[in-house]
Amino acid sequence: MTEQIIKPDLNFINDVISSGGESLKKCFQCATCSVVCNVTPDDKPFPRKEMLHAQWGLKDKLLSNPDIWLCHQCSDCTAYCPRGAKPGEVLGAIRKLSLQHYSSPKFLAKMAGDIKYFLLLFAAPVLIFLTYLGITGKLDFANVPKDPVKGIVFSKLIPTTFFIDPVFIAAAAFAVIVFARGIIRYWNDMSRNAGTKGGNIIGAAISAITEILAHRRFNKCEVTKGRSISHILVFYSFVGLAITTTWALIYLYGPIAMKFLGMEPFKWLLGESPYPLTDPMKILGNASAAALALGILLVIFNRIKNSAKAGIGSYYDWLFIGIVFFVMATGILSEVFRLMDIAGLAYPTYIAHLSFVLFLFAYAPFSKMAHMVYRATAMIFAKQAGRE
Amino acid sequence: MEKKYGVYICKGCGIEKAIDIEKLSKNAAKGAKVPEEIVKNHAVLCSPEGLELIKSDIKEGTNTIVIAACSPRVKYEEFDFPGTITERVNIRELVAWSQQPNTEEAQMTAADYLRIGIIKVQKGTLPEPNVLEDLSKTILVVGGGISGLSASLEAANAGYQVVLVEKEAELGGWAAKLYKEVPRQYPYEKLDDPIIFSKIKEVESNLNIKVFKSAVVEKTEGQPGLLDVTIRNNGTSETIRVGSVIMASGWKPYDAAKLGYLGYGKPNVITSVQMEEMAKKGKIIRPSDGKEAKKVAFIQCAGSRDQNHLPYCSSFCCATSLKQAKYVREKNSDAIAMIFYKDIRTPGQSEIFYKNMQNDPGVLLTKADVTGISDAGNSSLFVEAENALLGEKIKVEADLVVLAIGVVPSTRAPQEYLDGLTEAQKKGDVAKNAYLETTPKPEFILNLDYRQGPEIPSLEGAYGFADSNFICFQYETRRTGIYAAGCVRQPMNISEAQLDAAGTAMKAIQCVEHVAKGIAVHPRAWDITFPDPLLIKCTACKRCTEECPFGAIDEDEKGIPFYKINRCRRCGTCMGACPERIVSFKDYSVDMIGSMLKSVEVPDEGLRIIALACENDAYPALDSAAINRKQLHPSVRFIPVRCLGSTNLVWVADAFSRGIDGLILLGCKYGENYQCHFVKGSELANYRFSKVQETLDKLQLESERCQLIQIAISDYDKLPDMINDFVNRIEEIGPNPFKGL
Repeated sequence: MTEQIIKPDLNFINDVISSGGESLKKCFQCATCSVVCNVTPDDKPFPRKEMLHAQWGLKDKLLSNPDIWLCHQCSDCTAYCPRGAKPGEVLGAIRKLSLQHYSSPKFLAKMAGDIKYFLLLFAAPVLIFLTYLGITGKLDFANVPKDPVKGIVFSKLIPTTFFIDPVFIAAAAFAVIVFARGIIRYWNDMSRNAGTKGGNIIGAAISAITEILAHRRFNKCEVTKGRSISHILVFYSFVGLAITTTWALIYLYGPIAMKFLGMEPFKWLLGESPYPLTDPMKILGNASAAALALGILLVIFNRIKNSAKAGIGSYYDWLFIGIVFFVMATGILSEVFRLMDIAGLAYPTYIAHLSFVLFLFAYAPFSKMAHMVYRATAMIFAKQAGRE
Repeated sequence: MEKKYGVYICKGCGIEKAIDIEKLSKNAAKGAKVPEEIVKNHAVLCSPEGLELIKSDIKEGTNTIVIAACSPRVKYEEFDFPGTITERVNIRELVAWSQQPNTEEAQMTAADYLRIGIIKVQKGTLPEPNVLEDLSKTILVVGGGISGLSASLEAANAGYQVVLVEKEAELGGWAAKLYKEVPRQYPYEKLDDPIIFSKIKEVESNLNIKVFKSAVVEKTEGQPGLLDVTIRNNGTSETIRVGSVIMASGWKPYDAAKLGYLGYGKPNVITSVQMEEMAKKGKIIRPSDGKEAKKVAFIQCAGSRDQNHLPYCSSFCCATSLKQAKYVREKNSDAIAMIFYKDIRTPGQSEIFYKNMQNDPGVLLTKADVTGISDAGNSSLFVEAENALLGEKIKVEADLVVLAIGVVPSTRAPQEYLDGLTEAQKKGDVAKNAYLETTPKPEFILNLDYRQGPEIPSLEGAYGFADSNFICFQYETRRTGIYAAGCVRQPMNISEAQLDAAGTAMKAIQCVEHVAKGIAVHPRAWDITFPDPLLIKCTACKRCTEECPFGAIDEDEKGIPFYKINRCRRCGTCMGACPERIVSFKDYSVDMIGSMLKSVEVPDEGLRIIALACENDAYPALDSAAINRKQLHPSVRFIPVRCLGSTNLVWVADAFSRGIDGLILLGCKYGENYQCHFVKGSELANYRFSKVQETLDKLQLESERCQLIQIAISDYDKLPDMINDFVNRIEEIGPNPFKGL
């Protein structure tokens, strides 16, 4: 039996409280939460120990703990907590702090978690696009030419190849680098704390990914049962939109690449957008958008419906939900206004859409978007460490 | 008084359906030799019409009344006829509700009970109270802490003169040493300033309260109403007569020197008492270097709930530590207070305070078994603990450790000293003298002039508290007229102590008022009878003086007993003890009960068994069994007694010579957790009857025919079976060979 030295950290306690865990201190360690939880392992179950560790400010035990991600915030614990300590919300707050801990630069992490900095963060993508429009004189939409056949063509407002793609590639690269650094540190910390040599990572990864795709853990939730459906819709709509985007890239750059190779481009490579509504790529994109709309509205609806039992959630949660909602809303409206040929509405909506999407991409490692990466990592780690 | 009898039988509550009332009336008249016309009945005797029937007879001169109806434990207000001898015969619970209706057995049982009741009033006389002269209604309060001050004010505000004795130079006790108090009012968030100073002012300006400071009680002589208390104050002694005493002598903190394993002795380990002093002075610092303490650890149950130290919980230490955690947090918002507990126990509203304090981010709580305190270098300390939720074995750094220390009642030291003396005495004079020479005498509190010792006696399992184990009567001590309030009675917080003091003041007032009217105080708080021995026949055997549980009887130089009647609780233990059977009450005597049990009809066929039932627990248990419609064995007749301590051995001879087949004594549990209202009545009865069983054996009467059963009121559901078992054993033994002789 090794002796542990406990080092309480009052600042960390205050951080958890201010990150959405304001009920933290109410916990009196009865363990009802761990008993009602359907997703915790039986050995050293969560969230009771996390509640105690957070109450004592034991930062090191929490930030690098895979269990915080095994939790899917079903909120069964919160609903049954006799003291209103809302363990589900507290674990959410700890996850936020963990994300911030592993993502760098630190100032971005801090800003992403604080409502005070929202406008500042949002101003960056907006300014990027407005600056371009200002320089090119396209702030006056009358200067944006329309296609005689296709009508409004967004690439005539902001060119895809020469502006949008470089910006997004840079943002994506930044996000990937930040994620990679964070994940490596997280994995190393988890390994050190667990003291395990590590098991079969490939097998664990396959198992974790199948579990994620099937939403098996989500289905164990009781109090917030509907969440698995809304999450499936959002999750698979993102998958659909990712496929759509790739497909669009193929349409756009396929002919160029083929010409470059001295080949005759295939007919179905449509080149510049917009594409007809009957095109399979367009159908997939629109279907995904519809699924996203339904999914994110369900997310919001469920959150509000369950707020009495599960808590309403923190700014961090709502920022993410809000961004996804506006990505969806501006995306759909851009298309609608374009088809209706109302340039005065279509262009600003499109600029807003680009800004929200860039926000989502660039800040992904610092926002709740990062949960997909960290949760997957933690699940893989837990599986290879035999913690089910 | 010439007796004019009236016998009234109620037909209500199912009595008429179970018993032939006409037959019962005739039988009563015949068996008990009363004229048939005085036996009346009514459909509902407790109704206005039924009561009118009795009252009109009283107007006509009836003065000796037997009411055969429900249990005497109910309807006592309806059937209260002052100036008469009234006896209640319980044919509802003991017959109609617990016997097979309309059987010969039920009829015989009812007839027996009615006859027993008539015999009882025939043997009794109308009691008159014994009021002593020169009684005082002044109340003495010993101890000027929160309990004593509150009790003094309660009594004084009710119009009584109070004498308050405080051994320190100033009033206030521990409550005056606090920096702040646990919040008293909703929402229980803000610490309150100590309430004690306003109480001190109130007491010192109250004209009904005479305060003696730097004073002790040198001697307490006499009996309630006539207690002569000698108070020594500044070298002079003064004797004051008081009526009753409130003992609020408080507590001492447990000796922290015994808590070396928790680091006491290291400069940065202090007790909760020292923490109050420190907070009162200003900053929370490390005594070693005077630097502000930023990590303060509180060790709960320091020496409490620990068989090696204090085995009990002191009830307020958890709230005290939470309060002191607030001192730490309020004086420095960067500081943390860590509380290591066995269980957080915050009784009453202090639970809300606990929840509030728990919500403070800088108050960290964990359940843990603290195993020791070690040095962490630089005068800092490690709290070492096991079985904590934080880990099986943990170490937490602290720069100040506060031991939440428990309560030791002020009665403990004198009790231990006196118990030691008793032990030494048993070994002879040499051992006794050696004990007196070598053992330092602690401060005594009351210095009672009692043959059973100068202080409130110790009680196994009470850990030195002035407890009586009268579980239903919390302020009672085992000395009549002396009531304990506050932490001398059990550990409690300031709010509880004030409530306790109010309760105790009420008891002390009840005592002086009852004594003034010649009524017993506790537990027979209605009783105006008293033991009245026929001393001409006394053989000076001293059994009564030895056995009286309340020291009410002393003997003169010839060995003849005399009563300090206001100490007496009217249990009749003296009556049971007396081999000459000379102790009697007006409505309770050896001859009376003997005649009653001799009047039970012994059938030629079948068994007849008598049960003497203690009226405090056993008799209510019988009622409860009957209310739950449990069947009581038809061979048994239950006769209530004041206490099994009052059972006289001659009743055994009375019963068996009449041909009774068996005798059961139903009494309270005795031993460490006794429930006897008179402390040791059933124990004494058991002792006496073990002697009688030898005699029975000599008479060739099986000793198993006589048995004592200990029963608590809550055992009512098991009682019928216990009785059936006894009857079955008697059946196996066979009928009493003296039957029919």
